[in-house]
This record gives sequence, C-alpha cells and structure tokens, in this order.
Amino acid sequence: MMIRSITLTNVRRFTDPVRVDGIGDGLNVLCEPNEYGKSTLFDAIQALFFKAHGSRDKEINGLRPHAGGAPEVTVEVETDAGRHRVTKRWLQKPAATVHRDGRLIAQADAAEAWIADLLGGDAGAPSGLIWVRQGMTDLTAGTATEQKAALAARRDLMTSVGAEVDAMTGGRRMDTALARCREELSGYATKTGRPFANGPWKAAQDKVAALAERRDALAATAEDLHEALAARHRARRELREWDAPEAAEERAARLRAAAEAQAEAERHAQQVEAAAHRVEMARLTADSARDRLSGFRETGAERAAAAGLVAEAEATAARTAATVEKLGALRDAADRTLAQTQDALKTAEARQAAARRAEAARDGADRRRELADRIAKAETVRREMETAAADARSGPDARTLRRIEELAAARATAIATRDATATRVIAQYAQGRAGTIRDGDTALPEGQPVPVPRALRLTIDGVGTLDLHPGEAGDDSSVAAAAEAMQAALDAIGAEDLGAARRQGAARTEAERRLGEARAVLQSLAPEGLDPLRQALARIPEPDDAEADAPDPQEAEATLGAARDAQDRAHIARQTAADRLSDARTEAAGADANLRSLRDRLARAEAAQAKLGESTEAELAAEARTTDEALTAALAAHAEAARAAPDLATTAAALTRAQSVDRQARDEIARLKPLLARLDERISRSAGDAVEERLAETGQALAAAQAELARIDHEVAVLTRLEKALETARNEARERYFAPIARELKPLLHLLWPEADLTWGEESLLPDALVRDGQEEPIDILSGGTQEQVALLVRLAFARMLAAAGRIAPVILDDALVFTDDDRIERMFDALHRQAGDLQIIVLTCRQRAFRGLGGTALSLAPAGAAPVTE
Amino acid sequence: MGFRFIHASDLHIGRKFANIPEPPDGNIRGRLMEARHGAIDRLAAAARDGGAAHILLAGDTFDTATPSPGVIRQALSAMGAASEVTWWLLPGNHDNLRDAEPLWDAIHRDAPANVIALTEPQVRELGPDAVLLPCPIAFRSGASDPSEPMVAMPSEPGVLRIGLAHGGVTDFTDSGGAIAPDRDRSARLDYLALGDWHGRMAVSDRVHYSGSPEQDRFKHGRRGVCLGVSLDGPGAPPRVDEIETGTFLWTEVGLHLHPRQDAAAALDKVLPAEGRRDVLLRVAATGWAGLPDHAELHDAALRRGPDFAHFELLTQTLGTEYETADLDQIDRAGALRLAADALADEARSTALSQADRQVAEDALARLYAYVREGAA
Repeated sequence: MMIRSITLTNVRRFTDPVRVDGIGDGLNVLCEPNEYGKSTLFDAIQALFFKAHGSRDKEINGLRPHAGGAPEVTVEVETDAGRHRVTKRWLQKPAATVHRDGRLIAQADAAEAWIADLLGGDAGAPSGLIWVRQGMTDLTAGTATEQKAALAARRDLMTSVGAEVDAMTGGRRMDTALARCREELSGYATKTGRPFANGPWKAAQDKVAALAERRDALAATAEDLHEALAARHRARRELREWDAPEAAEERAARLRAAAEAQAEAERHAQQVEAAAHRVEMARLTADSARDRLSGFRETGAERAAAAGLVAEAEATAARTAATVEKLGALRDAADRTLAQTQDALKTAEARQAAARRAEAARDGADRRRELADRIAKAETVRREMETAAADARSGPDARTLRRIEELAAARATAIATRDATATRVIAQYAQGRAGTIRDGDTALPEGQPVPVPRALRLTIDGVGTLDLHPGEAGDDSSVAAAAEAMQAALDAIGAEDLGAARRQGAARTEAERRLGEARAVLQSLAPEGLDPLRQALARIPEPDDAEADAPDPQEAEATLGAARDAQDRAHIARQTAADRLSDARTEAAGADANLRSLRDRLARAEAAQAKLGESTEAELAAEARTTDEALTAALAAHAEAARAAPDLATTAAALTRAQSVDRQARDEIARLKPLLARLDERISRSAGDAVEERLAETGQALAAAQAELARIDHEVAVLTRLEKALETARNEARERYFAPIARELKPLLHLLWPEADLTWGEESLLPDALVRDGQEEPIDILSGGTQEQVALLVRLAFARMLAAAGRIAPVILDDALVFTDDDRIERMFDALHRQAGDLQIIVLTCRQRAFRGLGGTALSLAPAGAAPVTE
Repeated sequence: MGFRFIHASDLHIGRKFANIPEPPDGNIRGRLMEARHGAIDRLAAAARDGGAAHILLAGDTFDTATPSPGVIRQALSAMGAASEVTWWLLPGNHDNLRDAEPLWDAIHRDAPANVIALTEPQVRELGPDAVLLPCPIAFRSGASDPSEPMVAMPSEPGVLRIGLAHGGVTDFTDSGGAIAPDRDRSARLDYLALGDWHGRMAVSDRVHYSGSPEQDRFKHGRRGVCLGVSLDGPGAPPRVDEIETGTFLWTEVGLHLHPRQDAAAALDKVLPAEGRRDVLLRVAATGWAGLPDHAELHDAALRRGPDFAHFELLTQTLGTEYETADLDQIDRAGALRLAADALADEARSTALSQADRQVAEDALARLYAYVREGAA
C-alpha cells in the first residue's frame, strides 16, 4: 500500500478542504511551521484507517471544527490491485466508501472490512508498528488498545517469519525451571558463585575448616602426648636402671670395693716405702760395716807399713848423723886451719899497715897540724853558735812581736774610743788638798779628765764617798777585750808588759845576728862539718913509737901476699868442708823429717787402730757379712713388696670412676624424678582429656563433613551447570527468534552506533536494552534523543520486514526527531533514505531548516481547488 | 573334656562413629558405642554358656590409646562383673604399649582381679593344662613379626600352648610386620588366637582371627562373632565354634538395575525384611537406569531409609540412559530441549572428565525433576 494523496474536509481548522497531493514512493517530506496542521493531518489519517465511520468517541469529536460539521477524510492509496480512494465521514451522515478507479467497490461496513484487510490483520494492523506520533519516544507508548494491537502485530509478524516465541524460548516452563534452579542455588551461593554467607555451602566449608583445625590441634596434642609417653618411658627405664635396689647396691658395692682397693693400695704403697727405707738403712749399715772392716784392715796395714818405714828412717837418720859428725870434725879442722891462716894474714897485714903508716906519718905531719888547728877553731865557733842559737830561741820572734804591737794599738784605740764617749771626772783640788779624791787607792790626777766607764766610787778624804754611775750606753767591754787579748799575747811569751816584750824581742834579734855570724865562720872552717875534718885528721897517721921498727914494706907486702894465699886456700878448704857438712846436715834433716813424719804416720795408724777399739778383724768381717745379708734380705723384701703392690693410679682411677658413677646416678635420679613428675602431669592431663578418642572422633567427623562438603560442592556445580545450560539455551533460542528483526535492524543501528546491538524482551517483543561496547543499557534509561532514534529505527526495521513479507505499509512520522541533534539527524536521514528505497515514508516536520537537508519529495498542504472529490 | 576358652579381639571400646550421620533427634552413634560396650557382657555370656573360664582378647580392646576414664572404668567394671571368667587383655596397635602407657597403667592399677593385662611377652599359666604365650604390641606400627617371641617361650611338655598375638598375616604395607601364617608350627602352638582383622577369618586349622564381636564397617557383611575354642589335648586339632555376639549388622548390598526396570521395586526386593532398626545398610546401585528410574530410586530410598539404623544409597556406579522419550518429557523443542540436549551431550562426552560428566548428568536429572515438578 502506498498513499498517494490525502484530503481533509471539516477537520479542525480546515473547514475548507485541503489536500496533500503527489505523494510518491520513497521519502516524502511535509515541512511546515507549527500550528499549520500537521498533527491534524496525522490524526485524520489515523482516524481514517482505525476509526469506524460510525464511531463518535472523543477522538472523532476532537476532529470536528469549532464551527461544527462532519469531519471527512479521503486518502488515495495504491495497492497491487490498483488505485483506491478511501473516504470516511463521521458524526453526521457518517459514511465509508472505497472507490477503485472511480468506481465504488465497497461502502459502510464493507469498506471498513476492506480497510482492515488492507491493513493486513484481523486483530491488529502492522501500521501500528510504523506510525510515529509527535514527541512519542516510547516504543510502547500509545493507548492500551494501541499497545495491545502493536504487540499483537509484532508477534504476528515475528511468528510469520519464525516460530512461536514460547515454543522457541520454552516460555513459562523454562522460567519455572530456571527459577527453581536459581532458588535452590541461591540457598548455597551468591549470584557471583561465592558461597552464601548463611548458606549450607558456607556452613559446610566452615565446618570442614573448623574440624580440620580441631583435628590438627588434637593431632598436635596427641603427638605431644606420644612424645611425653616416649619420654616418660625412657625416663622410667633410666630411673629404674639407676634407682633399682640391686643397681644401687651394685654401685655402692663397687664404690666400696674401689675405696677398699684404693686404701689397700695406699697401705701397700706405704709398706713398699717402709721396705725401701729398710733397704736404705741396711745398705747404710752394711756399708758402714764394710767400711769398718776395710778401715780395720787398712789401719793394720798402715801401721805395719809405717813401723817398717820408721825403722828404715831411723837407720837412715843414724847414718846421716854419723856423716854429719864426721864432716863436722873435718870442718872444724878446716876452721882451725883458716883461723891460723887468718891470724897469719892479720899479722901480715898489720905489718904491712904499720909499714904503710910509718910511711904516711912521715908524709902527713904538717897537714895534721893544720887540720887539728882548724878543728879546734871550728869547735870554738860551734860553741858560740850554739850559745847564740840558744839565745835566739828565747823571746818573741818578729811576727809575734808585731802582733803584740798590733794588739797594743787596738787596746789603745779601744781605750781612746771609750774615754772619748765615757763620763769623765776631772778633779780640781783645792789648795792643799791634792790627792784627796781617790779611786780606791789611786788619787784622781789634778785637772786631768778621768773617764768613768762604769760605776765608780770615789773616796774623798774627810768627806765620804761619791758614787758615780755613768749611763748604760757608756758601758762596753771592748777595752777590756782588747786588754785581755794583749795580755794573753804577752802571757804567751812570758812578758810582763809591752816593754818587756819589746826588750825580749830585741835580745832575740841580737842573738840571731850572732848566730848568723858564727854560722858563717863555721862554714868557712868546716864547709862539710867537723866530722870529715876529724876523719881526715884521723886518716893522717899519727907517728908512734913502733914506727921505728916498722918492717920493710916490701917484705911485709910479700908476707902479706903469702898469708893472703894461705888464708884463701884455707878458706876454700873450709868452705868445701862446710858445704859438705851442710849437705850432710840437710840429708840428716831430711832423714829426721822423714822419720818424724813416719813416726806421725805410725802414731796416727796406732791411734786409728786404737780408735777401732777392741774389735777384732774376724768380728768386723762377721758383722760385715751379717749386714750384707740383712741388706740382701731387705732388698728382696722390697722387691717382693714392690712386685706385689697394686697400681695406685689404677685403683685411684677405679675409685674415681666408681665415685663418678655414683654421683652420676644420684644426679640422674635427681633429674629424672622431677622430670617424671612433670611428664606424669602432662600425660595425665592429656590422657584424661581422652585426646586420642577426640582425635579419632574429630577425624571421623571431618571425613563426614568433607563428604558433606563434597556433596554440596557437587550440588552447587550441578545447579550452576544447569543454570548456565538453561540460560545459554534460552539466550540462544531468543537470539534465533529475534534474528530476522535483528538482521533488519543491524545496518540501521550501525549507521548511528557502529558495533551496537539490541537485546529483546520476550514479552514485549521490543528491544529492552542497547548494547554498546559490551555495556548493556536498558532502553528506558537512555537519553530522549537516543530513545526516539531507537524507536524510529525499530519501526523502520519492522516496516522493512513487512515489505519483505510483501505487505508494504507507509511509515508516517510526525515530528519524530524532536530530541535529535543536527549531527545525529543527518545519519537518521541516511537511515531514512536507506529504508525508503522500497518503502513509503512520509515525514511531517516543523523543523524547516533542520529538515532542509533531508531531501525526498516535498509535499505541501494546499486548498483543494475543487470541491471534495465525492462522486 | 578338653580345655575351653573364648577367643575375641578388636572390641574397640570407645569408638565414636562420628562418620555416621545422625539426624538431630537421632542417637545412632550412641547406640553403636553402647553396643561395643555391650560386647563385654555378650562375651561373658558366651564363656558361661560354653563352659570356658578364660576370655582371650587379641588386641585393640580400646579404640584409642587414651580413652577417657569413664570408658576404661566402665569396661573394667563390666569385665569384673563376670567374675567366673578371667579376661586376658593383649595390647594391640590401637592400644599399643607405648602410646597407651597410661591406659595399661590404669588397668594394672584399677583392674579387678580377673582382668589381666598382658604387657609382657611372658608365658602365663591358664591353669594346669595350658599356657598362654602373649605377644603385646609395643608400637602403633612395627616392622617385625610380633609373634616371633613365641618360638622361644618355654613350656612344660604335655601342656597346651596357646599363642595370642595382634597383626596381619598379609604384609600389605610391606613393612615386614606381618605374622608368619605358620607360626603355629614354628612355635609348636596348639592354637594361635589373632586379632587386628575385624572380620572372622580362619587362616589354618590352628590359626584364627575371631574378628570384632561387634562390627564397625560394611566390609564383612555379617554380625560380629567370638570363637569358642576347645582343645582336647596337645597336638589334637582344635574345635572352633563361631558364637554370634553382634548387635548391629553392617551390610552392603548390590542393586543391579537395567533400563525400564521398576527401580523402587528392585530396591525393596534387596532390603532385609526384619530387624531394620539394627541394620546399617549400604545399597550400591550398579547398571543402567533411565532418568525416571533414577528419580524413582531416589524417592524410594528417601522413603525406606528411615527404617534403618543407617541407610546409604550409592549411585556413582549407576549409569543413566537417556532416551529420546525422557528428553521429550522435558521439551520436544525450544530452549529447554536445547539445554537438555547440551547436558546429555556433555554427560556422554568422552572429552570431559568423569566429574564434569557426573555434574552434567546430575544437572540433566535435576532439570528432569524440575520439569516433572512443574507438570505435577
């Protein structure tokens, strides 16, 4: 069906007939400002197709002009059968007519039936799908009747291209099954497949976890118990081993035995030591006995030897004594001879000397006199010198005198100094009274100041005494000290006063001068002293009387030579004899000394023998033998004791070990007893708790819980699997059902939203969500623009399905794109053009500018020139 | 008239059974514990009835090394009450000498005169005609044959030698701690009483495991027993009688299904008719079942389970067969069918892991259940 023209008469403001003509195939656009009557046109067309001519309802009344009158609408349609003019008039003289090619082919109810048939349905009309009212964005908008009709139409259309929807999707049975499945599943799991917090699945999981934890804890406790049991078993066994009476007894016995062995060993060691002592003693005794014996023997031998030697030495001594005696006699003879020769020599010498003296005396008589004279003078001078020397030694020498002079000067100075500062008394005697004032016995001198260096009592004759007391300052001792010093010096030389000293000094000086003179004279007389002079004088022989018979010197000389030779020979003979005597004496002395020494030796031997007492050699030998035997016996005893001695180190080690074992036993027992108590406590606690029993029970409960959990796991898996299978199947069925419309819609949709898709509601048979980029957005929350675009595209798609089914229906859009922006509208135009190819689309719009770019056939509403075409 | 005694082991007194689920108002765990304690009285009764003066407990009398004092004291009291018999308690691996030292100390200290702890590997006289050769366990897991010392234990000629030991005869862990199966010969035993294996097992004429007198696992499929042993004289083969002592029956039954079988009816057929309150039952379904059969089986299990002390249905090994009709019940076409097809494909896919396949299979079954619910 294509609409070719529309004519309105008495419809609202159009009291005069108006007409839209020249509506072609494809896209037609009626673009007029608002209030121009587009909606009136739309309503009129709808009324023509859907309102029975007999209807008087409010919509029909709404078509009536204010001025009244019968609304009349005529539409020319072209079908396969040809061009028809369909006219309806309502309210007054209502009528419905259908003309084909100017020929009435149906009127009244027949016309209505024709229209219904034209619209293609008994229940509803596909046109319901495709009429889009102004601002009607909702896909399901319209009155209830319209909606119902539209749904029916859609269902009809869908079914005509596919199968019954319920048959496809399983309908209520599917819903029930899915609901049951979800209901059961929701008891276990959340929508995301996690265990539901208070559900049995979670409970089973928790139970398994709790039981596993409990089982592990109990297993740990049981393990602990087993360990404690094992430890106690060990501890008990050890304690039993340590603490058993027989073990303790054995330990004690061992300890005792070891101690005894140790004591025994120590005792034995002492015995060995004593034996060693005894050996030592015996050895000493034996040594001593042997010593005594050998001493005895040696002493005897020594004595014998000494006695022999003494005898020999005595013989030797006697022989040497005899030799000495003989030689002594020989020497005496030589002595005598010598003496004789010496006498002869003396005589000769004397004779020779006398001869010489005589000769000298004759030669030295003058000289003798001179010498004697000099000696006499010298002796005189020497005596003088000695006197002078003696004088010179008395009196002070020059130095001493000088010192005394100095002291005297010092004293005078001191006196002068004192007197100068001292109180002075000057006596001026009256006439005749001179000397009546006295200091002691000394009268004060007339007119002469007398210093009073100290308290002074003056006696004044006939008057009394006058005491003078100088001031303390005047009293000093320097004068006294000086005087004292001088007096001491004078005393030293034995001079009474200074004058004496000076006299003595002068005497000494004189004596010294004399001494010097005498010495000089003596020097000249005897430069080397008197003795050489005297000797020289003595050397000068004195002429005596014998000189007269003085022998001849030559003869004396010869006699003297002979005497001297004889004396020399005698002397040599005597010397020889003396030497031989001396040798003999030496030999004799040696023999004597040897004899003495041997006698001493003999005496010592005898003394030693005496010291050995009364013992005989046999006795001593017997003693030595006895002591030797004793030593041997002691050695044997010691060796025996040493051989039999237990090793002290071994017994000590054994004792230490026994003690250590004993101590260890006590320590172990002390350790094990509390350990056992602790273990007992631990075991009784755990055993009392019946931990194994509870462990076994928990293990069984855990196994049961795990089985239950496995069952639930399986159940959840089953339900999840079933839900998934059902959902998958339903989606698949739904997709199959909606496949034709989706196929038509898809290119249109993609003009606006590439890759977008729509999901379909089974009940409404309309899209319920737009899927973009995998996001599913319910249609009713989309923007107004999007909603109206979807609605328009869906209608175009249905129209196209109708066209494909050979039931072309015009699509009439009354300002269908009010919310759509300019950019989007361009693409909607493209969609319209795309669909317009084999459809008729009539667009009514007031958006002149926006729709200028739409193209298509431009329509206009023009007064119908002629009277309404009613034939 | 020979020498008679009771041989039992693995009482595991004090076991808690926390792995057995218990409804909030139920007490199955308490009942199971109580039954273990009650085994003492039943053993005493068996001794009385069989004229036995001795009860040999071959280890693991207590479940853990450290039972609570109440467990110990009450067990000892119960033994002491049976004053006409002597109880010989051998340490096993659970109550081994090392870990359970306090326990054995307590027994030595507190036990009545007729309860004897065998904590030493020493010959004990069981009257004039027999000696007991006990081999206590020292550690939880040993590396040597615990029965070895018996060989060297002396006895008078003409006296019965009865060995008592705890451990496996097969060395599963390769630790070397297994008991030689011919120990009766090597140690010249007239009888070797063994513990550790919870089921009854005769190793040879003279070597026996009594098993636990009160079972605690699904493995053995019968109530616990003790053994009444008669020895006519040295060398004579022993006569061994099994005396049922168990209160609870632990049993696992197989349920083999095939498609289009009435699964609920098949289940009913394998369930015991009586005494369900004392039965712990595990049903292991195998074979193949369609989706509706699965649903019915689960419904039936939910209906029958409360009859029993404990009820488990194992369907891991039960395959699901998807028939077009089953999938059609979900939907013939459309999204539901799409989902069902996807899940069915996944359940059959060999590219996925078993776990993922199981998830897909169960998801499909669940979808089936939802759709059925909706239709109902």
